[in-house]
Amino acid sequence: MNEAKISLDAISKSFGPVTSPVVAVDRLSLDIRAGEFLAIVGPSGCGKTTVLNMLAGLDKPSAGTMTLNGRPIEGPGAERGVMFQDYALFPWRTVRGNIEFGLIYGPAGQGLSSAARDERVSRIIELVGLNGSESKYPHQLSGGMRQRVALARLMANEPEILLMDEPLAALDAQTRIILQDELLRIWGQDRPASERRTVVFITHAIDEAVFLADRVVVLSSHPGRLKRIVDIDLPRPRGDATRKSAAFADLSQSIWELIRDEAYRATMN
Amino acid sequence: MKRLMLRLLVPALTLVVWEIAASGSARAPRPSTVMQTAVRMIANGDLLFGLATSLGRVFAGFALASAVAVPLGIAMGSIGALEKNLDPLVETFRPIAAIAILPLVILWLGTGSMSAVTIVAYAAFFPVLINTIAGVKRVEPNLLRAAYSMGVPPMTRMRVVLLPAALPAILVGMRIGLGLAWTAIIAAELAVGAKAGSSGGIGQMMFVFYAYSVELNGIVVCMVAVGIVALILDRVLRELLARAVPWSRA
Repeated sequence: MNEAKISLDAISKSFGPVTSPVVAVDRLSLDIRAGEFLAIVGPSGCGKTTVLNMLAGLDKPSAGTMTLNGRPIEGPGAERGVMFQDYALFPWRTVRGNIEFGLIYGPAGQGLSSAARDERVSRIIELVGLNGSESKYPHQLSGGMRQRVALARLMANEPEILLMDEPLAALDAQTRIILQDELLRIWGQDRPASERRTVVFITHAIDEAVFLADRVVVLSSHPGRLKRIVDIDLPRPRGDATRKSAAFADLSQSIWELIRDEAYRATMN
Repeated sequence: MKRLMLRLLVPALTLVVWEIAASGSARAPRPSTVMQTAVRMIANGDLLFGLATSLGRVFAGFALASAVAVPLGIAMGSIGALEKNLDPLVETFRPIAAIAILPLVILWLGTGSMSAVTIVAYAAFFPVLINTIAGVKRVEPNLLRAAYSMGVPPMTRMRVVLLPAALPAILVGMRIGLGLAWTAIIAAELAVGAKAGSSGGIGQMMFVFYAYSVELNGIVVCMVAVGIVALILDRVLRELLARAVPWSRA
């Protein structure tokens, strides 16, 4: 524990022409520890998604170095899994077909017999509460169910590091609370810290970040820069009692104050 | 029942007016004479044989066109440089009607089935190609990124993500292509029909009615048959399409 799993050292990312580039992320340095739940918040335009895509190996930084267990990140890897904001479910595959996709076609399923694969997929379907919907297609599901499929597809590959881009953003308030609780359970908040996976969770909802995370990284926008890293020392396991606590409200408020001015500016302009 | 009567009113009236208006001329086709001819042509098997010959060519040419256009369209849709290079060529040939390449085809391939199949393939090729390119380009990038992030190798991504994601558009292109192929075969057989005996098919049958036996009723029977086959082809393909891609609301 506490040794850096992922290290970002002065990462920058620009888009557009070389003569007049748009800087999305500016010299971001950050250590992500093994087994921690790290949330990244910030106003729109702070480059949250860009950071996540670089961690996933889908985008390359324009400058700076990025290492995973000491080795540079040069592309996607089986130890990292991504959950996209729009879920990116395959519309032609059933719920089960989506969940087992990475195990059939990717390295995550290597050395796994088809019986073992079926067994794992069934267990995960159970875990995220999709029993009875295995043979439905994504367009037949509600937003909350689709989100569970995306989470299950991520879990099935058993990555050590879960990279999640606003996974709960499209949900209604009730579903969102339920899935926050479930996410913490799946991450392993009831288990000792050494048995937990590492989660990098992008969100624009401050209360969600505070409720879920061990640390909240606050970014500023245009360009995206590191503003503050806030330690969230709320006791675990967290639940409804956490949401009602004064400490929860105080932490949320203090983070809101960090980004308030920028958020106002972004909204009013 | 009343609604059905109302719906049939205009077609029925049209037939009656046609019958009366044409009754003065001995040669002009009338519904009654067309009907008699149709029964005769169905009974002696001429009509079905002609249709079968033409359909066989359509399917052969269509299969040929799809076998080239789908892989080429996937390549052009996913490799920008390839599309930039080939697009001017495609857009130059696309407006040239299939019938316009007939003289060259006859000179090179003669008046038999090979020519007819080539014409059909040419007609079907462009809609399949254009729709495949568009379909591949419209594939949601995050679907490919999702597969990439799971470490799925490039060729597998093409087979299990790109192809199914573009399939609805490809099938729409095939439906349009098959319709155009059917239109083209009739025109091709009609034109080739000048050298009677060597081509066959429903188009040539029409040519024979026109040039040799001057049987106007037979021509009308062929026209109606061509229309009905086109309708059936389109309906069957629509149904197949809906079954092949149940997730698509196209």
